[in-house]
Amino acid sequence: MSSIKKLLFAGTTLSIVLLAACGGTSPTAAPVATSAPAATAAPKAAEATKPADKPAAGAKQITVWYQFDEKNTDPKYDERDSAAWLRKTLPLFNTEMAGKYTLVNQPQAFDKMGLLVVQAVQGGGEIPDVMTSASGGLSGLLKNGTLTDLTDWIKAQSWFATLDPNSVAACTGPDGKIYCVPTVSSPILVYYWVDYFPGGFPKTTDELVKVAADLKAKKVSALTYFGSTDFGGNAVGRYFYTAVASFGGKFDDGKGQMKLNTPENIAALTWMRDVAVKGYNPETVFAGKFQEEESFKDASAAAFPTGLFGYRYVNPLTSPKGTKYETKTSKDMIDAINAGEVKLASFPAGPGKTSGCGTDYGTLIIPKGAKNLEGAQAYINWLMDPKQNAEYVFGPGGGIPTSSATAKDPLFSTSFYKQGIAATTGLCTTWYGSLTNTPDAAKIIATAIYNIIKGDVKSDIATVLTKAETEYNKANQ
Amino acid sequence: MAATAQVVSKPKPGMHSRRIRQSFLSRTLPFWLLLPSLLVLAVIQFYPGFYSIFLSTQDYQGGTMKYVGLQNFSKVIGSSSFTDSVWLTLMFLLGYAILTLSVSFTVALFLNRKLRLSGLYLTVIFIPWVLSDIIAGLVFRLFVVPDYGLLAPVFASPLFGSPDGISLLTTPPPSPLTEAIPFPPAPAMFLLIFAAAWKAVPFITLLILAALQTVPREVLESASIDGANGIASFRFITFPLVVPTLVVAMFNLTLGGINGVGMVFSLTNGGPGTATEVLSFLLYTLGFGQLEFGRAAALSVLMTVINLVLIALALRMSHSDSEGYKF
Repeated sequence: MSSIKKLLFAGTTLSIVLLAACGGTSPTAAPVATSAPAATAAPKAAEATKPADKPAAGAKQITVWYQFDEKNTDPKYDERDSAAWLRKTLPLFNTEMAGKYTLVNQPQAFDKMGLLVVQAVQGGGEIPDVMTSASGGLSGLLKNGTLTDLTDWIKAQSWFATLDPNSVAACTGPDGKIYCVPTVSSPILVYYWVDYFPGGFPKTTDELVKVAADLKAKKVSALTYFGSTDFGGNAVGRYFYTAVASFGGKFDDGKGQMKLNTPENIAALTWMRDVAVKGYNPETVFAGKFQEEESFKDASAAAFPTGLFGYRYVNPLTSPKGTKYETKTSKDMIDAINAGEVKLASFPAGPGKTSGCGTDYGTLIIPKGAKNLEGAQAYINWLMDPKQNAEYVFGPGGGIPTSSATAKDPLFSTSFYKQGIAATTGLCTTWYGSLTNTPDAAKIIATAIYNIIKGDVKSDIATVLTKAETEYNKANQ
Repeated sequence: MAATAQVVSKPKPGMHSRRIRQSFLSRTLPFWLLLPSLLVLAVIQFYPGFYSIFLSTQDYQGGTMKYVGLQNFSKVIGSSSFTDSVWLTLMFLLGYAILTLSVSFTVALFLNRKLRLSGLYLTVIFIPWVLSDIIAGLVFRLFVVPDYGLLAPVFASPLFGSPDGISLLTTPPPSPLTEAIPFPPAPAMFLLIFAAAWKAVPFITLLILAALQTVPREVLESASIDGANGIASFRFITFPLVVPTLVVAMFNLTLGGINGVGMVFSLTNGGPGTATEVLSFLLYTLGFGQLEFGRAAALSVLMTVINLVLIALALRMSHSDSEGYKF
């Protein structure tokens, strides 16, 4: 080989090496993935990099990061309902605050928002004034110094007293300070096709297994759920924790340590493994990227434990009778519920236990370094007004209000909400409890549970759980 | 005359220093021409590279960096996901390099014959190369999504394992032969290797084809006159002459395979479970998913070391090129 060739070869390979060294490590240098994997990710996330619309003369700009884009009017857009809400409320806010503030949305993919804000804060990028975050994602933001302490301000607001104390606790860091404003609770419950459960949805896991065997004979899966390790272990907060909690289990010891090897968890995982091994779920549950929804949409699966927000994404629908709900909007699920073909229920309870329910809180945060702190606070105040808050919770929030004042709004007296509230009230807890490194915990727990129920169904459950908890506790001393 | 010559040869005031300046400029001209590129490289490659090394010794706590020495390295190396990931990367690289090289070599040999429409074949074969990893991965995924993918029923046949066949995306790996090594791999790993090879074959084919076309026809004709048949000509003439290109191709594939994340991201997302969580994907999830920048930086430094070892090997082998290969 000639020396020029060698030089070229060495140069190319050295460049690759250096790219490997810098790619994905430095928050200031990390490239943003151009293709978000999430079914719910905003397809026009790239627009976020465009310069924001100019505020009206004299008005200060408030930059908000939502996972939806009000400019996207594509009827197939996953976040079309949320986008419609913003199309309606953004001018409303700007009119009310004319001359003072102008709100500008910079849409971001939901699973990249955390990373992007850390990059912005640490790397000196454009920091939003306010953005959304699930309470489960706060620990990563807190560790990276991205959150503004809101304690004094939030306690001084009139709506603070109306907030559910559990939601405030979810916004409170290990140092006792409040870092977010909880707007909505997103509990996990079961959507089910009524026709498959003529005797009502099973109250216990034993009853469910009996029905599941009958359904399997009719080539219908009893349960579909998000069971992959996709999205950094997102499954943990959904079916995984809800099923475990229904056997009285949990993932922490209440003192910040992971505790998985408990009799309750082992009982739950034995049942979950049984369901998977006997084929009471479709194979799509392990395929990731929210593929499991398809089986509920075409009624090849009878029940779907997912977030209350699921109604926004699971459409169009074809019922077991063949009725089609095809507006391809959240209206489809609401119509199916109003028609009595779909109902909501609590997850069945394990033997001698009560139903469990995982929840996460949708929150608003003000990142450290936000240019318009006052504007951000003004926007949050506006959103927490019961009327605006109700529409937010009903629209993009897709959950149950954290504010008791908002809960009185007639929007929450519909059949859908009545069922949802009845199925979850007093049952729900966060999956992470006292764990402080939730991204790490989610990945470790999701991988362990996946391995138990699908990866290696002959493995010793206690051994797998002990290994997982040791790994987390060792890495997070 | 002599006086005139003396006058001519006498330097004017300031000429000496100008000459020195000119000679300095001409000597350093390559440096000045390279400077803009070096500056760009420094900003986009060297700075983040060295910053990553710095970051690998730090831990963020409440936004404040704290020096932790080699703690991030011990956390990464001590995690089961890292050891599994190293083995999975090795399996992926072996499968990817062997499949790509063998298919590319076969296709290149085929195209090296004077065929009708060989230009068209070459164009068609090149299509996968122009697709992005993300798009290629998504397309392959759509083919095999359980229950709904076009090819899912084929693999669900009992031919692939009784009674329900396999699902390329979700069937977990068989029980490992030993506790320490996740072998044999999951069907998803074969899918990943196939998809990655499908994407890489065109470029490697072109490389090998170019090398094949440099094999002197006279040598082959002489060998034929001397009684060498096709196999002997290939074994003793064509193949040894193409080996340097194969070495370059192999290291190109290996380095690209270690560092590439797009295909894993869009095709398997590391799953099922962690069955396709190769090092580059682990790096991605640690840094971008879990926001553990210190640990991710430590992993990237470890990957750099692996890359450097491979480069050293490549350079060594390419050096031995001049001394000839022995088989």
